[in-house]
Amino acid sequence: MSRSNVCSCCGRPVTPYEAAVHFPCPNCGDVTIWRCETCRDRGKTYRCLKCDFVGP
Amino acid sequence: MARKKKKSEEPEDIDDLEEEDSLSDLEEDFAEELDEDIDLEEELDLLDTDDISVLEEEEEPIFDKDEETKQLYLSCGIHIGTKLISGDFKERGWLFRATNYGLYVIDLTQTEERIKIAAKFLSKYVEEGSDKVIVSSVRRYGKEPVRKFCEALGCRAIVDRFIPGSLTNPNIGTYIKDASVVVIVDPHADKVILREAKLARIPVVSLFDTDDNLKGIDLAIPANNRGKKALGLAFWILAREILLELGKIASEDDFPYSLDDFTSNIVPMYKLQEQ
Repeated sequence: MSRSNVCSCCGRPVTPYEAAVHFPCPNCGDVTIWRCETCRDRGKTYRCLKCDFVGP
Repeated sequence: MARKKKKSEEPEDIDDLEEEDSLSDLEEDFAEELDEDIDLEEELDLLDTDDISVLEEEEEPIFDKDEETKQLYLSCGIHIGTKLISGDFKERGWLFRATNYGLYVIDLTQTEERIKIAAKFLSKYVEEGSDKVIVSSVRRYGKEPVRKFCEALGCRAIVDRFIPGSLTNPNIGTYIKDASVVVIVDPHADKVILREAKLARIPVVSLFDTDDNLKGIDLAIPANNRGKKALGLAFWILAREILLELGKIASEDDFPYSLDDFTSNIVPMYKLQEQ
């Protein structure tokens, strides 16, 4: 069973049909950050698990 | 009348005597100082050289590097915000202070830190393919900085009207395939490209003033996005830092463009009317 991608802001699994985005952590670049459509719309903050960078 | 004059002259004479004493003391002091000056002059003669450039080289700079960059930031007004403040900006702790006349000031250390992080972030995308990085500005003062930024890095600039569907509709001629990241100047002005980047699932980097909100932005740089000098400086530093990250230039001094190249030449209307 493959592990689904989880939103870095709210912790919910990201569904394939929503306008989510993923990018490497701007600070360390090692961790991939996922943001679901809702969190992106609301401008919620995300946190890198490795370097504790808080965005956006 | 003559008696009265005599009476009035007596106290003046006493004052004159006192003044004379004080003047003689001053003269003595001056003579002593003069002797000291002569000694100093003799010492200076020993140090005196014909070659002035040697002395110029020995002079130490007044400011250190950090202080110099700080002065540059302040002179361009990158820290000056607006009279409005959004909740997003307040929550993030990027506000330095509010002035007495209601203008909000951005924290310079945060701006500097964020520009470096954004440079690190964008350098990865530029390395993969610089033509996939889209930089857009609807603002007039942002057009020249964006053009120069794209010239320096080889990115794709959109400074005219952004045609709707350029990121989402493959049937139109202006469709950009495989865009990797979008950089915008103002979330309010560039709202069309911001909305399309959201639909196309492309990360967005944006300059962020005090009155903007974080809707749809993935990385914000707190800076003044209205002044022409501020916009020029922001893109100039961003381009320089990206090239440093990529290793294309060895130091900051090797960057071939000057700040004036990145600054817009547009003269505001009110200045034209004054002339």
